Amino acid sequence: MTFFNSLREMFAMIELELRRLRHDRTEIYTRAVQPILWLTVYGTVMSHVRDIPTNGIPYIDYITPGVLLQSTIFVSVFYGLTIVWERETGILKRLLVAPASRYATVIGRAVASGVRAVVQALIIFPVAILLGVKFISNPTYIAAAFLMLFMISGGFAALSIFVASLMKTRERFMGIGQAMIMPLFFASNALYPIKLMPPILQSIAFFNPLTYAVDAVRGLMISGDVANIPADFLAVIVFDILIFAVASISFRKIIE
Amino acid sequence: MVLAIDVRQITKIYDGKIRALDGVDLEVNAADVFALLGPNGSGKTTLMRILTTQFRPTSGEAYSFGIDIIRNDAWVRKMIGYVPQETSVWTDISGFENLLIYSKIYGVPSSRRKKSISDALQIMGLEEMADGLVKKYSGGMVRRLEIACALLVKPKILFLDEPTIGLDPSARKAVWENLIFFKNEYGTTIFFNTHYMDEADLYSDHIAIIKRGKIVKSGTVNDLKHSLHSEVLLLDLKSHALDETALTDIRALDCVRDVVVSDSELRVFIDDADTALPKIMETLWRKGISIKKITTTRPTLDDVFLNYAGSITAVRKHSPQNAKGAPAWD
Repeated sequence: MTFFNSLREMFAMIELELRRLRHDRTEIYTRAVQPILWLTVYGTVMSHVRDIPTNGIPYIDYITPGVLLQSTIFVSVFYGLTIVWERETGILKRLLVAPASRYATVIGRAVASGVRAVVQALIIFPVAILLGVKFISNPTYIAAAFLMLFMISGGFAALSIFVASLMKTRERFMGIGQAMIMPLFFASNALYPIKLMPPILQSIAFFNPLTYAVDAVRGLMISGDVANIPADFLAVIVFDILIFAVASISFRKIIE
Repeated sequence: MVLAIDVRQITKIYDGKIRALDGVDLEVNAADVFALLGPNGSGKTTLMRILTTQFRPTSGEAYSFGIDIIRNDAWVRKMIGYVPQETSVWTDISGFENLLIYSKIYGVPSSRRKKSISDALQIMGLEEMADGLVKKYSGGMVRRLEIACALLVKPKILFLDEPTIGLDPSARKAVWENLIFFKNEYGTTIFFNTHYMDEADLYSDHIAIIKRGKIVKSGTVNDLKHSLHSEVLLLDLKSHALDETALTDIRALDCVRDVVVSDSELRVFIDDADTALPKIMETLWRKGISIKKITTTRPTLDDVFLNYAGSITAVRKHSPQNAKGAPAWD
């Protein structure tokens, strides 16, 4: 019974997110600008640098999964802002008084953010095709890549909710959010292979869940090399479970 | 009869030092409208948040319809509705969508969802604006929508934290008329915090005044007003000749505390005008004194509030006896 209640609340949260998107799509479009600039400006310039070993993949194609993920992760990492805003209004108090578990609230919100991220990626995807990025034409692979996008975005949204429950105010949260996004992106294989990094950065990249997500999405969408896919998915699942648990436990702190 | 809310010796200490609640005892009857009055920072919101299971008290017990609020919080959450002081609806979706999302969160079965939502909209008078975005609503409409969200499950107790703060008088009236309509329809107990005395006076059955984490006075509105012992009867007499014996007779009455005469005006200080007036009139009648006009001055709830809750600085500096909760002019 409780399980079904929780499931129902999770779906309600996803529905909420989709309804908000439907009323105001501007955010989705404006957020698409930055990743498109990454591909068109940064990608084009850097593709002239022949020193980055991409296994023969054109550089723009190589960074497309990273840029797709970066744009969705950005949505997730700042999802906590919504929670901070809901804390300042009375919404969180009210959700905590509703007959639903806080696990369902946290997971529901995180999953909802994952859905938002997928919508975001769906906007950038056709733009990348127009830019000449060659995707693997296997629909199962592409679907699996979007599943990975969804899973990692949900995980980072949960991380963001966890940070929000500790920081509690917009200003503090913004500081942490900004500080998180840079190392996340650069200490991963989003823009260059890990073997190019200094050893310290390599070990950070090893613990960075984004590395596994990029590896999976790149394998599924661009290179077609799927040898690491099960390991990548396993890594992200472990990350999701851990962070969902941590975020759920600390969630109640946010209203205190 | 089972009490809707039964609070026993609730204490809440924040961070090991700030004593927000200090041994609160409180009883609320089922189907009552109960107002908790208190100055800012007196512990009203803390008490409400404990009663709505948002956090636990440091010590003490609380029951709702016999169910332990602290230990069986999940059970209690199923039967209460709660509207916090701050905005608690999403402003970037429509009013109807807010109700839809909340009905799913509260677990209203899909077969009854449509009916619950249209009932809630109708009770709160929001049918016409249901499809508009909430950010375009006026303050009063937002508040009515928030209450509507709480009514979806037909709660046994509805908790409202400062339900009409910041609303104009007509919006306040609309909120209350809709609330009272709902209460009469479903017999819901309403527990609200406020510092609008007129609302407590008009709409509540019982009142408690909280001050610095303690309940300093509780009872019906009339009980509280009478407790000040400060009703005044102003009798305008027809003749100037008020003989001394009449005055002595009135002074001798049990219910009379003091009498002051000036010309043809008789000022009688009493506890309760309703019971004292007939006796005084009878005394005057017997002496053959006829009355031109009678004016009764009763303390307002503002007087009650100022007397018991006082202003915190004034209490400390000027009238120490007030701190014990005794009327200043006793």
